[in-house]
Amino acid sequence: MATNLLEVKHLSQKFGDNLVLSDLNETIQAGEVVVIIGASGGGKSTFLRSLNLLNHPTSGQVLFEGQDLTTLNEKQLDHIRQKIGMVFQSYNVFPHLTVKENLKLAPKKVKKMSDEDADKLADNLLDQVGLADKAQDYPTSLSGGQQQRVAIARALAMQPEVMLFDEPTSALDPEMVGEVLKVMQKLAQEGMTMVVVTHEMTFAQEVAQQVWFMDGGKILEKGTPKQIFQHPQKERTKDFLARVRQSR
Amino acid sequence: MKKKRIYFSWLVLLWGLIFSVLSQPVNAASVDHSLEKVQKRGKLIIGTSPDYPPYEFLVNQNGKEKVVGLDIDISRKIAHDLGVKLEIKKMDFDSILVGIETGKIDMGISALSPTAKRKESVDFSQIYYKSGQYLIINKNDKNIYRDKDSFQGKTLGAQSGSIQSELLKKQMPKSSGRYLTKVSDLILALKSHKVEGVVAESAVAIAYVKNDPSLAYINGNFNLGSDHLGSAIAFAKNSPSLVQAVNKSLTTIKNEHLVSQYLADAGKYMQTTKSNHTMLHYWRYFANGVGYTLLISAVSAVFGIILGLLLAIMRLSRNRIFHDLAVAYIEFVRGSPLMVQVMFVYFGLGMIVNLPALLSGIIAVSLNSAAYVAEIIRGGINSIPQGQTEAARSLGLSERQTLQSVILPQALKNIWPALGNEFISLIKESSIVSIIGVTDLIYQLRTVQAATYKGVAPILVAMVLYFVMTFSLSRILGYFEKRMKHGN
Ligand SMILES: Nc1ncnc2c1ncn2[C@@H]1O[C@H](COP(=O)(O)OP(=O)(O)OP(=O)(O)O)[C@@H](O)[C@H]1O
Ligand SMILES: [Mg+2]
Repeated sequence: MATNLLEVKHLSQKFGDNLVLSDLNETIQAGEVVVIIGASGGGKSTFLRSLNLLNHPTSGQVLFEGQDLTTLNEKQLDHIRQKIGMVFQSYNVFPHLTVKENLKLAPKKVKKMSDEDADKLADNLLDQVGLADKAQDYPTSLSGGQQQRVAIARALAMQPEVMLFDEPTSALDPEMVGEVLKVMQKLAQEGMTMVVVTHEMTFAQEVAQQVWFMDGGKILEKGTPKQIFQHPQKERTKDFLARVRQSR
Repeated sequence: MKKKRIYFSWLVLLWGLIFSVLSQPVNAASVDHSLEKVQKRGKLIIGTSPDYPPYEFLVNQNGKEKVVGLDIDISRKIAHDLGVKLEIKKMDFDSILVGIETGKIDMGISALSPTAKRKESVDFSQIYYKSGQYLIINKNDKNIYRDKDSFQGKTLGAQSGSIQSELLKKQMPKSSGRYLTKVSDLILALKSHKVEGVVAESAVAIAYVKNDPSLAYINGNFNLGSDHLGSAIAFAKNSPSLVQAVNKSLTTIKNEHLVSQYLADAGKYMQTTKSNHTMLHYWRYFANGVGYTLLISAVSAVFGIILGLLLAIMRLSRNRIFHDLAVAYIEFVRGSPLMVQVMFVYFGLGMIVNLPALLSGIIAVSLNSAAYVAEIIRGGINSIPQGQTEAARSLGLSERQTLQSVILPQALKNIWPALGNEFISLIKESSIVSIIGVTDLIYQLRTVQAATYKGVAPILVAMVLYFVMTFSLSRILGYFEKRMKHGN
């Protein structure tokens, strides 16, 4: 039985006169992987940031496990955000902490986990993302791909219900994209609910249940990867896909 | 637009405040409790600027400094007659009248001439000592200068704010004037030919010349008005009871010819101070000064950081009231000189709560430093990319935890050099507290200058000591800077 893990109702976002999200009504079910594609400025990041209320929407609701997040105060939101992991295009690892400390910070500060437990958890996760040997290094000595894997492990350390990825491989050198996607793929196979903004078609085809094409603040078209990539219905979707393919 | 209008109305309000304060009558008549207050307290507090031998000056007795001189002996006699103890507050000459007006001291006794202008703001006792106005010159020039009229086209020196400066301005129009706070500095200027003569009271002139064979004095032949002749004690306006009591003592002093005895005593002290003028002999003074300078700087640095952090966070907060308060505070403090702030805390706040000079100094320097530290910290916080905050918040860290564990540690690393500069300038700028009589290094430098009749040597010692302090600090800071630079 599928349950709605995340749901948005009449979600709109205005920045001044700029309508960035326009009355979105969508659901994401537990265990599902949704890939969002679309041209720059279409509102993908804003949408993702609305799901954990890093961005407070102008109007509408964001429901997580049935609870409307827009009615919560900051303290309650901090509690919810633990369960919604997020990975950014620019990694945003903490440069003043070692790799392992990056992973341990939130479990210890937010969940009040003991140092011992946090240590075990961090070792375990670093092993999963293939960075066990970098535990004591500072992030600045790591490659982009390694930093992004640290960021993923850091989010996983809070044992989230869902992971949001905002173009996690866009800033990477091509030869490092694979190592990050591999980690994400493994995560999906383990049943993690994921919302991923990416233009990695192969990844989408192999991992996603749904692909959304976002443009002008709306989900213009959605369907299985096959439907969207091979039989797009809307002109704008076709244009966009043509452009992405050309740039390869 | 709206913001501008708010600022504008604030400015109008401030100007209004300034005018209303200025137009207020300075001395509101009130019931006279002056004598009663002193007797109740059991202590007479006097203010004096001990750099003016033989009236008041400092001597080093068994390593302890002591204020002595004619004025001090007179004060002691007055206190004795009143049946109370005597407390001497050392302060800059310029600060004495302010000290009286603000109630910091009961009376000012510092070879003060009761001029009509001063009488507008304070009351005076009868005159207790009359002397002429002399000119101190270099002994070699003795044949060139006869009196005030032989200095045409030359530069002369006088203590700023003193009666001598008035004489110089009014009665020597063809000479130019140089005005310094300390007589010892004026003597130094004379010896280095920055000035050709120093206008000084006869007793002072004699005292300096007696202690320095390269100097000489001549009578200035100034045209002295009746109220210019001599020294009196200053009191707060409308305190006739205290003035009367003091005048009684002064009459006794006059009748018993005690002044000449006091002057002779002062002369004896001047003999002893003359005996050992090496800087080493005064090491205790300098050590004491370094101690206070470090104390003030260290305490102010700590409070400056705590308060500065608070102000920076307020300024960055989304709460408009907090933000505006912080901006107003920072702009205001940075927009006025530390010197004025020190005087405001000591004399201004001193009217409400009685703050000792040292505490006043520390408060003023801390409050001042906080404004600068706040701006450094704000810059540091702003220099951390927004992504760091977003990543931290997405993990469930609260705003506070984010600041504490993610933003500030990184910001501190970025701003460490700027903070270090602030600490170093704190050591140097805290020297301003000497004007309210805090015995920091600058104050002790003045003391040693006055006690030794030497101008340059104490300056050199102080300069080296300041350098040693700032250089050591910059080395220590550099060490921590290196240690923080991991991973890069
Ligand atoms: N905080 C903000 N204030 C004002 N405008 C914003 C803000 N955040 C985003 N926008 C605007 O909203 C629009 C959508 O931005 P968004 O980052 O969501 O697009 P995107 O689809 O993620 O684009 P990209 O592929 O370039 O990342 C853009 O026009 C952007 O300038
Ligand atoms: Mg984006």
